[in-house]
Amino acid sequence: MVANRASVHFTFVPEFSPGLEGVVAAQTAVSEVDGANGRLIYRGGYLIEDLSPVVSFEEVAYLLWNGELPNKTQLDALCRQMSAARPLKDTARGTLMAMDPQTDLMDTLRTVVSAQGATKTLTKPTQEEAIALTAVFPSIVAAAYRRRQGKEIVEPRSDLTHAANLLWMMGDEEPPVERVHFLESYLVLLADHGLNASTFAARVIASTGSDLTSCVVGAIGALKGPAHGGATFAARTMLDKIGSADNAEKWLRDAHARHERFAGFGHRVYRTYDPRAKLLREMAKAAAPELHRTAARTEELALQILHESHPERPNATNVDFWASVVLTGAGIPKEMFTSLFATSRVAGWTAHVLESLADLRIIRPASVWTGPPPGKKPVPLASR
Amino acid sequence: MSAYVPGLEGIVAAQTAISMVDGANGRLVYRGYVIADLAEDMSFEEVAHLLWTGRLPTRAELDALSLELASSRALTRAATITLDALPTDTDPMDVLRSVVSVQGVEHKLEKPSIPLAIHATASFPTILAMFHRRQLGLAPIKPRADLGHAANYLYMLNGKESSPGLVRALNTYLVLLADHGMNASTFTARVIASTDSDLASCLVGAIGALKGPAHGGAPSAVMDQLEKIGTADKAESWMREARKQKVRFMGFGHRIYRTYDPRAKLLKEMCARLNPKFYELASKVEETALMILHEEHPERPQATNVEFYSAGVLQAIGLPKEYFPPTFAVSRVAGWTAHVLEQSANNRLIRPQSEYIGPEPRKPVPLAERG
Repeated sequence: MVANRASVHFTFVPEFSPGLEGVVAAQTAVSEVDGANGRLIYRGGYLIEDLSPVVSFEEVAYLLWNGELPNKTQLDALCRQMSAARPLKDTARGTLMAMDPQTDLMDTLRTVVSAQGATKTLTKPTQEEAIALTAVFPSIVAAAYRRRQGKEIVEPRSDLTHAANLLWMMGDEEPPVERVHFLESYLVLLADHGLNASTFAARVIASTGSDLTSCVVGAIGALKGPAHGGATFAARTMLDKIGSADNAEKWLRDAHARHERFAGFGHRVYRTYDPRAKLLREMAKAAAPELHRTAARTEELALQILHESHPERPNATNVDFWASVVLTGAGIPKEMFTSLFATSRVAGWTAHVLESLADLRIIRPASVWTGPPPGKKPVPLASR
Repeated sequence: MSAYVPGLEGIVAAQTAISMVDGANGRLVYRGYVIADLAEDMSFEEVAHLLWTGRLPTRAELDALSLELASSRALTRAATITLDALPTDTDPMDVLRSVVSVQGVEHKLEKPSIPLAIHATASFPTILAMFHRRQLGLAPIKPRADLGHAANYLYMLNGKESSPGLVRALNTYLVLLADHGMNASTFTARVIASTDSDLASCLVGAIGALKGPAHGGAPSAVMDQLEKIGTADKAESWMREARKQKVRFMGFGHRIYRTYDPRAKLLKEMCARLNPKFYELASKVEETALMILHEEHPERPQATNVEFYSAGVLQAIGLPKEYFPPTFAVSRVAGWTAHVLEQSANNRLIRPQSEYIGPEPRKPVPLAERG
């Protein structure tokens, strides 16, 4: 229910919920995380398991922006618009080329998106801008990856889909169909997820009347954090350390004894198995058979160990764990994982920003004062 | 789960000891000090130290901080190239967002720290001054280590030292705007920090939020409106006409203050001294705006906000109005970084809930069958 604005006046200090846990910060039709039932619903009311096997990333982006799946004509128009928006502007390219090739890919993405979206005057976010921004992410990410390896940048191809073109720009060869399929599935599954920290950051920025690039750049910054987008990388790193299915038990028991967290387990919202993790898990065996063996054994043992130490907690594998295996099968090196997450989630970020415009109100929460009582008099510098 | 409150109004999102906006009593408190007690005599550097550490610096600490700031003013090579690659008509807020992003890049993730906060704070004036000079077709001016933060910003903008009066005015502005509770840009920085991201990411997000007209973009809107009004004698007729067309008066109203914003009061006094021409028009516009707003909504506490007289002070300093919002950032970066440090010291991921207002689950129609 929408609260009546005029009636919202607090005469008491409300309780502080750290991390705003359980606090409703927006109304949205873009997606719904039904944690209790382990369901993820995308705009229009589609369950992720119904949607992901039958749609492309472009269709999902259209859905998130418009609330309906596109028909053939609408989809063709969107694909044309996206391919046309793939090349970097001169300013953005200049910025990219000026950066040290070893720069963190998320920093490169944050900077180049900022430069790509720099304008003369403030504009209200539009769907055209959302399309253009979404379309350019693979070009930045792939170019940064190529530079990191000391290779020439590969120009985008307009005859390929979003996912296929990304792999093309990374590798300069026609990507195999299976790899495109794994990447596409990942991009579809991660495109939106309720009011996660990066999406929330984008909505806070949008609430000031700022432009779409500012919202997306802030969201990239939030996604960079290990507690958010960095988790897929952490999961893959853990699997690398474990090395093989045989080594899983020893490694996990040792790590647990050192009070180390297992990467890829637990989520604030899901109280059952994350539906995206389930779908990615089903794909993982075909995507990366060897890594899958290690991962499957690791999952089994990790859940067992976590249950032993906290039987009361609903511990479940999260999306990052199995995403790290499927992305590996798509041929994506782990250094790129977080930026690939951004490449998918930008569809959701922009959809949330566009949605929020309908009823824009500055997000300006309250804080509780924990400092010294006011009125302390400053001591002059010479007497300090 | 609590009910949805638009804009999170009144919802506590953080505990903080950095600043307190006491709206009911019209007080702004930095780390225990009431703003009026700091504004006159404190340098921006001292206030930054206060916000970061909770204490005013000793002489030795202040000297060390000033030295560290002065030696961190230069841009990296990549940042300089980025700045030079941006078209000269780019919004300076977009320039700041992009160049702060590139200036802060790293090879591996670093935890936010006071040294990183100092480095970031030191770079903001350099970015703006370099870009402004580029717009004018002038060569950049190298920062001067012997000048304070405010004096050096003016020096890099103009290529010559400004009068002590103007330096003092800018310094006071920077002190007054350095922090302000859980405003939208500071909150953005804390949301980003809550994912354990790096300092530059928090700042870039905060700059993006400050850019919005409902936040830092307001002082330039004040100037636009005053320019349209033109002269004091036209104020009332223009403003009455504007209200008929539902035009908002820029620089009035604040979600929190129920009395006069203490910063606006101090800036108003400065305006009267430094910018009499602006003051003559602005004070008449203020008087008229408050009168009209009171007539329309006698029940609402209407007051002039900080943006209104900020515009006059920044104009007196010689800044063009496109540089009002980024100069706000030159000040607020001290607060943003302090909040990021506080958030990371006792962190929990900020991940609120949303209320789903879409349709109930249904099955997708295959592409070929969609109408």
